[in-house]
Amino acid sequence: MQTLEISHLANLFVAVGMGLSAVGAGIGIGQIVAAALNGIARQPEQTGKIQTVMFIGMALVEGLAVMCAILSFFIIFQK
Amino acid sequence: MYQTTHPFQLGPYILHHVLDSHEWHLPFLPVIHLPEFISLHGVMIIFCALILVVLFCGFYRHGQRVPTGITNLLEAFVQFIRDEITIPFLGQEDGVQFTPFFCTLFFFILGLNLLGQIPLFATATSNINVTFPLAFITFYLMTVMTLQKRGLKGFFRAIVPSGVPWPILILIVPLEFLGIFIKTVTLMLRLFANMLAGHIVILCLLGLIILFGLWALPALVLAIFFSLLEILIVFLQAYIFVLLSALFIGQMYHPDH
Repeated sequence: MQTLEISHLANLFVAVGMGLSAVGAGIGIGQIVAAALNGIARQPEQTGKIQTVMFIGMALVEGLAVMCAILSFFIIFQK
Repeated sequence: MYQTTHPFQLGPYILHHVLDSHEWHLPFLPVIHLPEFISLHGVMIIFCALILVVLFCGFYRHGQRVPTGITNLLEAFVQFIRDEITIPFLGQEDGVQFTPFFCTLFFFILGLNLLGQIPLFATATSNINVTFPLAFITFYLMTVMTLQKRGLKGFFRAIVPSGVPWPILILIVPLEFLGIFIKTVTLMLRLFANMLAGHIVILCLLGLIILFGLWALPALVLAIFFSLLEILIVFLQAYIFVLLSALFIGQMYHPDH
């Protein structure tokens, strides 16, 4: 019978953590885009300005998730 | 370590494709061994710079009343950067002055990202040693150029927000000062991580085909979809890098706005 090693467990935890970070980023980006859509629907003439701010916010949130993903990759591959 | 019965190892396979190396694999040709002083990503950077020089010195026609062809394409980007990025964040005077710098940054990053999307070429921006100097230029402009242009007083006015009671200043000023470094680091990591993550995802999906054979063919559709998404991300990341650079530099230059 195969024994469960600590490194296998670590891989599992890394995968779970990566998924959680993706959930967080998904919620964040969803809220940002929803708010931007609301704003554009109310004031279509301000589309450009709203989009700029939306992209900044999206970049900040997405950067966090991507950093988590890269860190997870490093943890898995480093062993 | 991994104990798989299959001889194929996905992790090293992906890392070999993503990391920098001194070998260039081209189809139907022997492997090109690059000399010691230059790596594959270095070759990509020089290649991108050559393309930009040829595009802007060779094909870009000055003084066309109605721009056509490649001039029209490039001018749309340049005008977008001037009107949508630099002038709103840096003001009319500084914005026009800084437009060439931001155009260079934008086209350079875009060129490197797009070169990575071509099969058998490497993405230089997925190497943190490439993105750090790009972010460091922004850091230089944020600190040294602000000191030079606005003086020590102007620099502290950017760090110390006005109209805040002094007990809170003790907390805010170190944070703002650290923020300069944090902004640079996030700028560096965002571009690096986004480009690296996109390639790793595509390679993971393609690796499934090698692992599971024909059963993983639907993964090919996903890989194509991700490649298309990657083309969007290529433009978005170049745009966001320039946008955030302009935002950070603008905050240091004009703290009142």
